[in-house]
Amino acid sequence: MSYSDKVLDHYSNPRNVGSLDKSSQDVGTGLVGAPECGDVMKLQIKVNPQTSVIEDAKFKTFGCGSAIASSSLATEWVKGKTVEEALQIKNTEIVKELSLPPVKIHCSVLAEDAIRAAIHDWKKKNNGVAQNVPATTEARQ
Amino acid sequence: MSRAGHWAAQPGASVVNVLMANPESKSSLIMPGEATSTCWSCGTMRAVHFCSACGKVQPPVPVNYFTFFALPRKLNLDTALLEREFYELSRKLHPDLYARADQQEQEWSMEQSSLLNDAYRTLKDPIKRTEYLLRLEGVELEEQSKTATEKARATGEVKKQVVPPDLLEEVFELNMQLEELRMQKKMGEDDPALIEELRKQKLKFEEKYEALFEELKGYWNQWDKLVDSGDEEARGKVRDQMLDLLNRRNYIRNLVRDVNEALEN
Repeated sequence: MSYSDKVLDHYSNPRNVGSLDKSSQDVGTGLVGAPECGDVMKLQIKVNPQTSVIEDAKFKTFGCGSAIASSSLATEWVKGKTVEEALQIKNTEIVKELSLPPVKIHCSVLAEDAIRAAIHDWKKKNNGVAQNVPATTEARQ
Repeated sequence: MSRAGHWAAQPGASVVNVLMANPESKSSLIMPGEATSTCWSCGTMRAVHFCSACGKVQPPVPVNYFTFFALPRKLNLDTALLEREFYELSRKLHPDLYARADQQEQEWSMEQSSLLNDAYRTLKDPIKRTEYLLRLEGVELEEQSKTATEKARATGEVKKQVVPPDLLEEVFELNMQLEELRMQKKMGEDDPALIEELRKQKLKFEEKYEALFEELKGYWNQWDKLVDSGDEEARGKVRDQMLDLLNRRNYIRNLVRDVNEALEN
């Protein structure tokens, strides 16, 4: 299987690799894994408490090129978005942007899961409200 | 009924492809198919591989691997018996025996051989056997994960991760150490303490890996007792526990592999 140019670009030149201070009140951390392939992905966001805008995002992924590219792209996309906007990112958009083949779709699912997990962590820290109540999310489709 | 007819209409269709493809539902894997249940040559009720009356090879029908070997859908399996069956059938399906048969019979014997090999390889391996059974039982890991993500997106609910968070943390940490080791090696540096630490971690994970297999056998026993009970709820529970265990096992397998690679290079 050959990787698309965009995957190769993110893979050889990943954006936003690194970590943020996990204990900071403004930082949300998502750690997710895909048992299909054994990949593990950590994605962190730093959120402006006034505006809910994601001001910074970092990731560290151990896995295949597609998983690295998916999470690299995810950090690019969430930056500058509000938390609610970021929750609308779909794995299918990642698939399209990176031209992922069907066998690598789970990498994009993992990246979406990582975004959600990070936002969930941040919300839990800040509202003390777990987002498992459907009515609490504003933007829904 | 209509599906059986569909299969009967294409006797040449490769059963192997049908079985290897991701089944959309359980039923696509279990189709004895009334329309194909008699021997094409003599009309007797046929068996899966050969006609019991005239001995002619039969066109393969899409049966699951357990049915192919006339085994119950159980996980404790007499592998010695399976092996004997395999060699017996391999011998009977050998291409040399069909060198003078007509083209159609040659093709069927080849397809049956190929199916036989796949079925044997899958069932003799305890992990592959378990994974295969889970697929038969409707487990579609990737599909289910995707659906759960879509649900989380639509409802704002939190998706349940299939891998326990503490295991993910451990895997992540160990991967960080591995990266450090690779970096050091690249720079020509040597950190005996780190190598020692990784060796220790590796042993720990290898023990976990072995222990998981023993745990899995416990679930096999539960499953085998339940398989004919009709207790769907209990069956579903054991199925999910096996799935959960195999997921964890995958992680640990990859991790140990990566540690070995990093230590050896």
